[in-house]
Amino acid sequence: MLRLININRRLGDFALTDINLEVSDGQYYVLLGRSGSGKTQLLELIAGLEHPDRGTIMLDDVDITRQRIQDRKVGIVFQDYAVFPHMTVFGNIAYPLKARKEDKKYIVEKVEKAAISMNIKHILDRSTEKLSGGELQRVALARTLITSPRLLLLDEPLSSLDTSLKDDLKRLLRNLNKGGQTIIHVTHDYGDAISLAKRVGVIHNGKIIQEGSVDEVFKNPSNRFVARYAGIRNFFSVSILREDGLLWGVTEHNVKFKLNGVSTLRESLLLIKNDSIVLSNEKPEDSELNAIKGKVSELIPSEFGMEVTIDAGEMFYVNILASDMENLRLVESKEVWVSFPAKDIVVLSGN
Amino acid sequence: MSRNSIFTWIVMILSSLVLLFILAPLAGMFIHTGGAQFLETVKDKEVHQSVWLTLWVSFTATFLFSIGAIPFAWLLARKKFPVKNIVQGIIDLPIVLPHTAAGIALLGFISRDGFLGKTASLIGLNLVNHPSGIALAMAFVSLPFLINAARDGFAAVPERLEKAALNLGASHTKVFFTISLPLAWRSITTGFVMMFARGMSEFGAVVIIAYHPMIAPVLIYERFSSYGLNYARPASVFFIMVALLFLITLRLLSFKRKKKYINPDAQTD
Repeated sequence: MLRLININRRLGDFALTDINLEVSDGQYYVLLGRSGSGKTQLLELIAGLEHPDRGTIMLDDVDITRQRIQDRKVGIVFQDYAVFPHMTVFGNIAYPLKARKEDKKYIVEKVEKAAISMNIKHILDRSTEKLSGGELQRVALARTLITSPRLLLLDEPLSSLDTSLKDDLKRLLRNLNKGGQTIIHVTHDYGDAISLAKRVGVIHNGKIIQEGSVDEVFKNPSNRFVARYAGIRNFFSVSILREDGLLWGVTEHNVKFKLNGVSTLRESLLLIKNDSIVLSNEKPEDSELNAIKGKVSELIPSEFGMEVTIDAGEMFYVNILASDMENLRLVESKEVWVSFPAKDIVVLSGN
Repeated sequence: MSRNSIFTWIVMILSSLVLLFILAPLAGMFIHTGGAQFLETVKDKEVHQSVWLTLWVSFTATFLFSIGAIPFAWLLARKKFPVKNIVQGIIDLPIVLPHTAAGIALLGFISRDGFLGKTASLIGLNLVNHPSGIALAMAFVSLPFLINAARDGFAAVPERLEKAALNLGASHTKVFFTISLPLAWRSITTGFVMMFARGMSEFGAVVIIAYHPMIAPVLIYERFSSYGLNYARPASVFFIMVALLFLITLRLLSFKRKKKYINPDAQTD
């Protein structure tokens, strides 16, 4: 198990701050964050390429914070692969074994086995100079896996691959993880995170702002940044008032949201999941629903139908199916009702 | 004619003038050297000995000093330390010093009263007027060429490759010899050739340390000052030809090690 305890590291104007993280054995942990969020720096600290200013890194209950890179049993595959350009594919994969002064026959056997598992046996004699991105990725992966790392760190492994190669590599990574390999995978791509992760950490400005299972994080985002990652676009800054025994969130444009439960907050951020919002031509009769009248301001074709923007004092973004589009006969400037249950509104503190 | 092509023409004319400035004196020297005179010089044992001495002493000096200079260049490329800028300045010092002044400075160091001279005399070696003294004078003025070229070569090696090698379990020494050195090799050999060539052509510092045994530049000077231009010319031509032959061979050897990069545009599979 890997444990990061209060890791702090300053690099110029940027700082990783109070990073606490636990990755259990066999976990597929995805660290999700934008470029510049500190995710690569964090990987480099775990690998030992850099050292934290403060904090402790424990691997299997051993403090490895100041341990030599070579002794950590943590393998890292860099975003740009870092394949040695002056060596053949064989030379690259054999490098760690040669560094350990292994027997020549043993090296050949191990390299061939690793190459077969990565489906690159046919290019073992090739120079790395003219390999494709996918091949380079596999070479880098084979070279790291041959060291049998306790922990495999992957820095944006899918970012420069086309879709079909991405799917191949995802399958490969899933199988590796199924075989017991503990993986920490760093990415900026929400899609990669949900398709691979068993557990997700969202990192922003050098801090892990939310952590948990994929469902926990993306179904209950704790702030706007995480919600945006999950594709949620309906956010509203509101003041919370109590009126007629009910709790209301009121935006600066005086759009009112009926809220569930009790809130002690005065200024909040409301978040409404896209699939909770329903459009209709008539006002819905259910009094439990928030129903707000607005005008269609934009219609943008999307993968499954249409993304509709409604101006109801505040902008609402709703995805509807092509069939609903026909039923509602939506055109720009048409008046429609936006409705959603109070229970589906998530109240977040601040922005 | 477009503005661009006028510019190109001006650049080409200026470049040709510079090239002519370098080539004309050399061509003149070749033209003015008679065949018979040249053949006589080629057979001259004193000339042979002097050219051979120049070549092997310069090569040995370059080779021996590269053992320290190459790791030093790596240090300059990779490590940050407080007085790094001052150290860089010290390395370039021999380039700006008048070479006779460099020779005088070195003489104080290697003569029997100097530290190195005293140490060498303990094993019965007098560095003054000795090939080892000549090697030191050549190295003193030419070391910056190797150090600077090798430093640039190491700096151009992506640090990430070294980190990857460390992560794969290699020691720092192993990383240096298997990653840094091979990838910086082209710059290092260029520096090596430059240091060798610069050492070979050194006159000012060497003449202070050792008039005898005579290296080729000293021999040419001696023939010029004693017998005149016509007598010095064939020896110069012969030395230039041998030096060029050596330089071209070394260059070709270094070019054989083609620099390799990851090709980001390689075809996807």
